[in-house]
Order: sequence, then structure tokens, then C-alpha cells
Amino acid sequence: MSEYDVINSRAPKVDAPAKATGRAVFVDDMSMPGMLYGAILQSPVAHAKIVNIDTSAAEKLPGVKAVITSKEAGLVQYGVSPARYDETIFCHDKVRYVGDEIAAVAATDLETALEAVSLIKVEYEDLPIVLTIDEAMAEGAPVLHDKYPGNLCAEVHQEFGDVEAAFKECDIIKETTFKNKRQDAAFIETQGCLANYDLLGNLTLYTSTQVPHYVQRILAMVLKLPVGKVRVVKPYVGAGFGIKAGTNPMEIISCLLSMKTGKPVKMNYSREQVFMFGRARHQFTHTMKTGVKKDGTIMALEHQCYLDGGAYSSFGIATVYYAGSLLGGPYKMPNMKYDGYRIYTNKPACGAQRGHGGVAARACWEQQLDMIAEELEMDPLEMRLKNMMVAGDTTCNDLNMSSLGMKECIEAVREGSDWNNKKNSLPKGKGIGMACGFFVSGAGYPIYRSETYHSTAYIKLTEDGGTALLYTACAEIGQGCETTFSMIAAEALGIPLDSVRVESGDTDFGVDLGAYSSRQTLMTGHAVKEAAEDVKQQVLAVLSEELKIPAEDMDIKKGVVIFKKDKPDFSEMRVRYIKEHRGWTDNPEEGDELSFKEASRIAYLAKGSIVGTGKYRPQQLGGKFKGAAVGTSPAYGCSAQIVEVTVDEGTGKVTIDKMTDAHDCGRAINRTSVEGQMHGSLSMGVGEAMYEEVKIDDKGKVINSDLAEYKIPTALDMPNMETIIVESDEPNGPFGAKEVGEGAIMPTIPAILNAVYDAIGVRIWELPLTPERVYTAIQEYKDKNK
Amino acid sequence: MLLPKFDFHEPATIAEACQMMAEFGSEARLIAGGTDLMVNMKHKVISPNHVVSLSRIDDLKKLDLSDSTVKIGACFTVAEITESEEIGKKLSALRTGARALGSPLVRNRATIGGNLGTARPAADLPPSLMVYDAKVVLTKSSGEREVSLDSFFKGPGVTEIQPDEILTEIRVDVPPPHAGAGYINLGIRQAQDCNLVNVASYIALDGPDGTIQSARVVMGCVGPTHLRASSAEKLLIGEKPSDELFEKAGEAAMGDCTPIDDFRGSAQYKKAMVGVLTKRTLGIALKEAKDRG
Repeated sequence: MSEYDVINSRAPKVDAPAKATGRAVFVDDMSMPGMLYGAILQSPVAHAKIVNIDTSAAEKLPGVKAVITSKEAGLVQYGVSPARYDETIFCHDKVRYVGDEIAAVAATDLETALEAVSLIKVEYEDLPIVLTIDEAMAEGAPVLHDKYPGNLCAEVHQEFGDVEAAFKECDIIKETTFKNKRQDAAFIETQGCLANYDLLGNLTLYTSTQVPHYVQRILAMVLKLPVGKVRVVKPYVGAGFGIKAGTNPMEIISCLLSMKTGKPVKMNYSREQVFMFGRARHQFTHTMKTGVKKDGTIMALEHQCYLDGGAYSSFGIATVYYAGSLLGGPYKMPNMKYDGYRIYTNKPACGAQRGHGGVAARACWEQQLDMIAEELEMDPLEMRLKNMMVAGDTTCNDLNMSSLGMKECIEAVREGSDWNNKKNSLPKGKGIGMACGFFVSGAGYPIYRSETYHSTAYIKLTEDGGTALLYTACAEIGQGCETTFSMIAAEALGIPLDSVRVESGDTDFGVDLGAYSSRQTLMTGHAVKEAAEDVKQQVLAVLSEELKIPAEDMDIKKGVVIFKKDKPDFSEMRVRYIKEHRGWTDNPEEGDELSFKEASRIAYLAKGSIVGTGKYRPQQLGGKFKGAAVGTSPAYGCSAQIVEVTVDEGTGKVTIDKMTDAHDCGRAINRTSVEGQMHGSLSMGVGEAMYEEVKIDDKGKVINSDLAEYKIPTALDMPNMETIIVESDEPNGPFGAKEVGEGAIMPTIPAILNAVYDAIGVRIWELPLTPERVYTAIQEYKDKNK
Repeated sequence: MLLPKFDFHEPATIAEACQMMAEFGSEARLIAGGTDLMVNMKHKVISPNHVVSLSRIDDLKKLDLSDSTVKIGACFTVAEITESEEIGKKLSALRTGARALGSPLVRNRATIGGNLGTARPAADLPPSLMVYDAKVVLTKSSGEREVSLDSFFKGPGVTEIQPDEILTEIRVDVPPPHAGAGYINLGIRQAQDCNLVNVASYIALDGPDGTIQSARVVMGCVGPTHLRASSAEKLLIGEKPSDELFEKAGEAAMGDCTPIDDFRGSAQYKKAMVGVLTKRTLGIALKEAKDRG
């Protein structure tokens, strides 16, 4: 039995009834009186000078209310990281990818808006394009941004310890190169927004975002409005996975159009536009050289990585750092050298996606570790155990593992999958493989340099007593954080879950950096917990005065006041309460415990509205070197996975038979949600490993921009999944909680790769594992080993 | 993505529908399940002025079974094929093809007539129907004609159907004893996929443990239409079935196909898979031929 009353249990999501019945309101469900529809003209070519833009025909079309280009929008630069603001709302001198924004229209209906867009005439002067890293880095290659010669968007050079010296002590050194493919996160709800610039000059943007706070700041900056006049509200969101963690051009454009017309303006991306806009996982090319001693001790890693960035930076600076820093753990490794390069190409920009920067790196490295284990004739699971960090360890790049249930995770999947009996004894064509991984529980620093709190929250008790209203600016995007925070508030306040009502996703509620880097449970959780404790103390303070009992001798649990010492006579207080509630059916009976409802009413009568506030900002984290901030976190979640596969050697088709996943999420707040995140990570990992690749033709156009040809796993593709929750007590987490949303994807791809090798004896170093790629690898292996 | 504007018609009888098609000609498109048409219209690949729905014509939804023939109405859904015990018994490879098509949602809407009429070279139903030597009935106001599927497909999206005609029925003779067929489709994922290669094979033996009297092998995704692997068929006829024979037939089929490189896969891989799937479908066909002895 859990020592907790609310958390550490299973709760249905608070938004489940609304979503299950279709009553939940998403942007697409919203409309306002007089609302206009917006549409964007996007570049049909990948690289060209803009010679002329003629909007006259579009302006004349009946129903068109505004046509805007860079002339109206200005040239304020923005992006994700202030270190690389390289986008403007509209292109003015040239376009850099198929999809770059040139102009926009607001009209009375969508058909008219689209027709008007088609009437805008743009004269281009074609420029040569670069679509690969090799092309972009070649001598004399066309340059996308004059400010970044050689198309070098960002580079990282880090060394911890002395890699060269360490290699001299190693018995085995392995070097391999690995490549994943450009991804799309394939969320169900495409981006959409509704901007309303009201008659008082206040701008409200309703948008499908993960980060209302950052969108608010970018809007204020680009539109040159006081931030106090800008409000961003996030209705229900059909997932984001990182792609909605920045500000998209449509969000700004809809605001501009609303400001220009004085009407609400609604806009949506089609699925094609989602692919055109991109901002999902980069294509990474990793080359890693790992040195180990005969006994399996990992000594050093030398690592180069090239990221195909697309036309703009987006999250890319953080990505190129994460791609290196997230190999610091979870194994003890004293020496690590990393050189990372993010390169501009004439394609949609890449950004952050679940497991930001670390997924392909992990896939490369964990497969390499298996190769080394094989050469050492060690069980790969034992080799990982041998090198595993424990709680309290710090990586060579200064990441502190304040809790780390990694060994427990490995033992859990070993048992859950029956590894010991299956490894080395499966028939040919069947294989089993494992891998480990870890991830941050929230970035240690905000995207812009600031001393801001990462999260604030407040709780107001309803004046008649009994209900706690929780307000946070966090972003519920389907992951269940509203439920998590309701549970944390209920636990900390000592009331039942259904006595909490939550409102979230509105910048008017405070600061919350949003749903990215798996931060909310830990960070928003702290703020919510503090707000709940604040409220509780205020109620107990009033009781203390009324009953002449020290507040510390009282508590609130399960909705009633606990008197730790002698129970006082509170009958007078109860009479007062009942007198005010004559005729109400839920008044307390004689002999009942003093309820939270009575106590909070008494508190209101004494003090007015009871409002408690909470806040959270991580302590100083990480090292002092350049880029030390990326990868730091107050805590790290970790996981181990074992995957079993069958490979049809005739066709190369891989079938995943079973997946066993154990994740250390600290203290599980809502066990059902934790498992949901594990399932989601596994299926996203399966997709990237097996099917997914955004394909781009030689003109820079995405050719599979729909969910028929961009293939994510269907229900039939997902095997049986066993998800095992491993709990640790994270000292930096609220109630000991930490992340699960992204760490769980880390081991998935390498575990599949290692299982495929186990089945066919052939290593594959490029994703996805389509039947053709696996078949070709088998044939090449056979030809080589004839 | 918005649908272009069009007039929508819902005739209640085949005759009425034929009249409309005669009147509108190539300005009109027929819609049954709409799983293909709606997508193409939203993509503006086609923008017909008239869309004529067949959904209210009950005569097109019939399944007519006798000992010797199976007649399937053009609007019989793919889901209904998957559920039909009788089709499973008489034309097992057709049911396998139906089960492989799209996803449960698509199968609930998609029809057998639509899967033939859209003439996609990767479609799931044509290979097995072709190995069963199926015929389609094309109807217009002035009468109907029967066309073998062998000569029905003219190219991707192009068929023998004339603008004033409607595909109303599919007719298949029930295979004789000691005959069997198999179908395999290879794709990237388990559902909602476009096949990389699909193959159906049919053999009829002249008795239990006899020699192969007739054989048909049909390959999808490796040409502008589904292709007969005629040299593989020739190689099989008159021989006793064996793994070696089927292997050879697979190799022969590889020579019969004309795949191209595209973003889904290389020609070389598709050709290799024709060999593998031909051999495997012949194996399934043989097993059924023996079971149905």
C-alpha cells in the first residue's frame, strides 16, 4: 500500500470524458463572430531571389480583407534561441526552402483566402540549391544565410578528460558510422490558431502549442506590442512532440492579419503544410569511436556528428549540443570528446522531437556497445550493468544523477523478457536485443537567458469552501499533465482528487515554460505542490487562531482536518458553518470529523479569498564550459528495454514480436499516465526504427507529405508491450517524481537494431529498417562471406 | 484541403445510373466507397463536374453463389468479402487479398468494383481475381458486355470502361477440384500501406499428386498494370509440383516483370521479391490444391 492518498495510484485523465465524447474544444472547433480565415503563400521553389511580388489581383478579389507581405510585417528577426534568430515573418530578399512564407491573406472564407493566395504573382530568380550536408559544405557551395558562411549554422567542440590518452589504455577500439532519417512527429492535430486583436488593443492568440509562454514573448517582440497586451491561450492540443515547442509563422501571421483587419482570424496547416514546415527530428550522421578494456570497462568515446538542419535554426543549436551531451551517461565514462556540426540546407528546418538530439546518438552508440560486448564474449546486459552509474554519480560533462534506478531497470527487463533463457538460444531468424538510455527531467535553463521562474502556479479556494481551483500556465497536450497536477495539488492539500478543478495553458495564469524537455511533472509539479502547501497553511493558520491550537499540531488529509493531539471541541465552528448553509443537503452530521470544506469556509470568513502561490526554478546546475547548460537538469529519468524480433530473410521484413520496457520515473504520480508515456515512446521509436522517413525530391519538395506515404506504426504493427515502472525517490522532484515522456524512447531503436543483429548476424547502420534495407544488408553480407 | 465543387447524383437503379453516365460522359465520375476518389478530388488530381453515387443501388451489392460460379456485385464491400465464408471456401486467395487491403475502416467503405475500376498497379484484389480468371460486366443503357480481367487494365488508372459504362459485376468460375491459389502482399507495415510487391498464383493439378494442368501467376507493382508471369506459367504446366520447380518459376517470373525505381523501393528489390513471393504463393496454392482434393 502506498503511503499517499492520491498520487502514486491510477487516475483516469480529468479531460477523458470531454475527449471521449468529442466535447473537448480544439482550435479547429473554435469560431468567433465576424471571424476571417487566413491563408499563406509559401514558396514553391527551394532557393531563389525574390524579384517582385504583385498582390494586386489578390487584393481585388471580393471577400479579401487583407493581403500582407514583409512590407507590412517588417523584418524583425526571430526564431527559437536568441543566439540564432534567423527567421523573419515573410521572406523579403530570397526564399530558402519549399514552404518559405512570402505573403498571407485574410478573407471571409477559406476558399476565397486560398484563391487569393493563388492570385499573388511572385517573380523568382532561381539560385542553386543544396540538399545534403556534402553539397552544403562543398567548396563554393551556395550560401543560405550570408551571416553563416559555409552554411555552418552551429558547431560544438568539447572534450572531457583526455580521450587520446585513454585510447592508449584500451584493448578494443570500435569505430562505426550511423545515420537516421529526417522525421515528422505525425501528431494528430495539425497546427492551428485563432488570433483576436480586440477593440482595446489587447491581442489574444488561441493556438495549438506546447509553449504558450514562449509564443507570448515572440509575439510581443515581433509585433512590437507590450507583453502585457499579449495573451496566449492553449485550448486542448492533439500532441506536439517538440514540433509545437517553438513559435510558428502562422501564429504571428494570424495576429498581424487580425491587427490589420480588426477581426478575429483563424488559420490552420493542412497535413502537407505540417510536413512543409517541418521542425521535427534532424537527420544525424554519427561517427563514434569507443574504447574499452578487456574486462569491459568503458574508457572513452570520440564522437563526430553532422546534422542536416534545413533552412533555419529552429531548436538546432540545442539539438547539436544535446547530440553530444546525452552520451555522458548512464555509463561511467571518464573521457569524452565531441565535435558537432549543424548545417543549413534548402529544406524545411528541423528542430526538436521527443528525445531531443539524443535518439540517433543513442541508437549508434548502444549498437556499438553490443558489438564490443560480442567481441569480449560478454553478455551485453552484463557489460552494461558493469559500467552503470549509480545514484549520486556525476558524468564527465557534469550531469548529476541525483537518482538513477538504471540497474533496477535492467534487472526488471531481464526478468520480464526471460532474457537469460532467450539470449543465445533463439532459432535463426529470431533475435533478442537490449539497450539503455536516460533523459533530462526538464532543461536546467530557459531558452532565453533569464532568472525567471520556470513555473508558477496558484490555487484559490472557492469562497463557499470545498473546492480548490488550480491555475497554471502549463501545457496539457494530451500527455495528462492536468491530471498529474490535480493529483499533486490534492495530495499536498490533503483533499480528494475530485475536489480539485484545474485550468491551464493560459499566459494570464502565470509563467510556465511549457511542455518540452520532459519538464512539467518535475518543475510545474514543484510549483503546484508549493501552492497547495501554501493554501493548506493559510487554512490551518485560521483554524489555529479559532481553536487555539498550534498549526503544526493539525493537518489536512483525505478532506478532513487531522488533530495530531487532543481533538478540540469545534462544535461552535460547525454551528456557524451550518447556519450559513441552511437547507443545503451536504452539511456535516454531528460526530463527523471537521471537514476541509468547513475549515476553508471559516478561513474565508476570517481572511477573504484564500489564494496560495507556488513557484519553481532549478538550483544552479552543470559545469562552466561552453554549452554546459544543454543537458543539465535537476533530475534524469532512465530506462532499459528488451526487444524480440523475427526477420524474414527472404524478404528482409522485420516483425517486432515483443517489447519489455522498464523506466525509472522517480515516484510515479499517475501510474496509468506513466505507462501511457512508455507506450507512446515505444511506438514512436518503432516508427523511426522501422518505417519513417521524410523523403525529399531533387528540387527540395517533400514527396510523402501525408500519413499514407509517411508511415507511422498502426495498431497492428505494435507488438505486445510489457511496461514496468521502476520507482526511485528523486531528491529534486516533487514527491520524488521525475520524467518519463522522452527518456523512454532512448533505448527503443538500438534495442531493435541489436535484436535484428541477433536474428540475422548482420549489423545495419542506417534507418529505417525497411524490408529492402534489411534484405540488401543480408545479400551484401552473403556476397562478402561467400 | 477542400473538395472542388460538383453536382452530386444518387440514382436508385442501374438503368438510371447508366442514363446519367450516358448524359454526362467524361464530365462525371462514379463513386462507390470513395476511398480513392475523395482523396484524388481533394488533391485536385481530378475535378469532375458530376459525381454519381452508386450507394443506393441495391442490385450492385449482391453476392450470388452457385456451385459453378461466384457473382459479386460491384458495390460489395471489401469488408464483406473478408467476412464471407463462402468466398473463403471457393476463392480463398481473393479473401486473403481483401484482408490485406487498407485498414478495417477503409475495408468497410471500399468496394470490389472500386478496387478494380481505379486500376492501381499495387491494388490488392486484381492479382487473385486474375489468377481465378475473373471477368467483369460492363453495363450501359444499350446493354452489357463481359470482359476478362486479363484485358481490362490498360495502364495506371486506365481501364476498358467507357465513359458511358458502369462496372456492375464480377464473375468468377469456381475452381475445379485439385486446384488452389495463394496471395501474398509485401509492404512496409501491417495495414494502411501501399504494397511494394504483390503476387497471386494459381495451379490446378490433374489429380491428387498429379501434374500441373494449368497455372496462372499475376504480379502487382512491377509494371503499369498487373502482369501475368507467362514464362513462369509455361514452365509450371505439365510438371510435377516441387520446391525446386517453384523456385524456378519464381526466377522466371522475375524475368517477366518490369518494375521501376521509385521512392517506395528499387526495381532490383521488387524484382527479387517477385521471385520470393511467386515461390511462396505457389507453395500456398499447392497446399490448397491438395487440401481441396
